[in-house]
Amino acid sequence: MPIDPITSRHLLIPGGGPGAGTTGSPGAALDSFGTLLSSALENLNRLDNTANQAVARLAAGEDVDLHQVMIAVQEADIAFQLALQVRNKLVDAYHEVMRMQV
Amino acid sequence: MSGIFSVFKITASALTAQRLRMDLIASNVANAETTRGANGAPYQRQLAVFAADPPRFNLLGRVEEPGRGVRVQQIVTDETPGQRVYDPDHPDADENGYVTYPNVNLATEMTDMLSATRAYEANVTVFNALKSMALRALDIGKA
Repeated sequence: MPIDPITSRHLLIPGGGPGAGTTGSPGAALDSFGTLLSSALENLNRLDNTANQAVARLAAGEDVDLHQVMIAVQEADIAFQLALQVRNKLVDAYHEVMRMQV
Repeated sequence: MSGIFSVFKITASALTAQRLRMDLIASNVANAETTRGANGAPYQRQLAVFAADPPRFNLLGRVEEPGRGVRVQQIVTDETPGQRVYDPDHPDADENGYVTYPNVNLATEMTDMLSATRAYEANVTVFNALKSMALRALDIGKA
């Protein structure tokens, strides 16, 4: 993900900084991060669904290997842990910004 | 893609293979005294033949997948003749009064069973190590 360097243009020109709108490179960077995040969440959701289906099939007495179910559950767990870490990072960044002295 | 989940697939293939081996051992032990197997002959011991899925390379010769685990290539029947026991009253005795029993040796099956169990455990240990590696990677940067 390309991150634009902070230049004097961002600092000096009103409306040129981050949060200025959808036009300009910061907005584009925000979009690409948003897409990244949503695709990661989609992936997490898919893994979670797979694990849920595997558990349901096992519980329903279908012919499914126990270890396949466990591995699906563990995959979903690891993906969830990753998502949790990303979320923690985002919240940390938010708090960092909130604590900023104005 | 050779992410961490593809390594899980390799472990899963090994677990499946060992479980199938365990199925065959269970069948062998269950039929250790079966004198009427398939087509009327005594039961014959069954064995799994494992084959490695080779690494896959892309067009440039780079490793695309470092190995895709193990699969059961075929199930073979052990053709060695079974033990012959003199028992003229048995309904399956031949004209000389001998009954042919399956070629299943319980001691061999027990050692095979231990081997399959330990191999299964070893693969579960690999899985757990992989998972703790992944979770350890998520700890990177934490104070």
